[in-house]
Amino acid sequence: MQTLFTIIPFISSLISFVFAGLIFRRYLARRRAHLLLWGVGMVMYGIGGFCEGYDGAFGWNPVVFRLWYLFGAMLAAAWLGQGTAYLLVKRRWAHVLMVILGVASLYGAARVFGAQLDPAAMGGSLHTGSELSGKAIVSGGVRTLTPFFNLYGTALLVGGAIYSAWIFWRKRILLHRVIGNVLIATGALLPAFGGSFSRLGIVGALYISELLGAILMFVGFLRATTSMQPGEQA
Amino acid sequence: MTEPKQPTRPRRNYPAVYEKLIPIALGGIVVATLAALLFALAVALRLLPGVTP
Repeated sequence: MQTLFTIIPFISSLISFVFAGLIFRRYLARRRAHLLLWGVGMVMYGIGGFCEGYDGAFGWNPVVFRLWYLFGAMLAAAWLGQGTAYLLVKRRWAHVLMVILGVASLYGAARVFGAQLDPAAMGGSLHTGSELSGKAIVSGGVRTLTPFFNLYGTALLVGGAIYSAWIFWRKRILLHRVIGNVLIATGALLPAFGGSFSRLGIVGALYISELLGAILMFVGFLRATTSMQPGEQA
Repeated sequence: MTEPKQPTRPRRNYPAVYEKLIPIALGGIVVATLAALLFALAVALRLLPGVTP
């Protein structure tokens, strides 16, 4: 079982980095801010997966845990969501949100790297301790920051994808974008469910949901950027 | 004399399977998002026995 919990996050990480590479390539061709931020968000997602795999392979390491918590648990969703903000919100407001997110991320990084850790605390309550958990952070006021980042990111990423899909569906245009956005929204939602099931003591829920989430978002991005009909705008 | 009627453009539809599946998928995602938010709220308020934030 432990081998599985090592391999699954490494696969998530690999998919995330390949996905990020494709997004960055598209960014270099089009120079759109949302692509840059989605790329950064997927790199963070990939770092989170890598740290989970590292923990499974080599055991507890405080630096790896802090990197996992900062990028995987705290910031990835928020930075992905910020990309959607640049796509859907007026540019001036997107800049304001970007500054707030940037400052909040620096503050979060300082708190995570200054926090006291206790790996034994990960096995508390229903959580089995088989996966990394923020419960290892014993300093107060650090984990309370995380829901704000995740709420912001998930609301923008999932909400933005649903909104885009709805707009295209209502006009009955660009079917590939509707399908792509449905897949992206589903993929973005899965890690949130995985985290919830992990809290309920379901072994492997977090890592499996992160892998499925990365796959669905990747497939959704490819679908949304590849036209289904010749001559149709991608 | 009446003005000639504007020809109405027939509404294009997606293939039938997508016409059925897409609203179900979008509705499902909205419901799932609300469920995830409610669960997070219940955990934060310690309403679920044995589940701590």
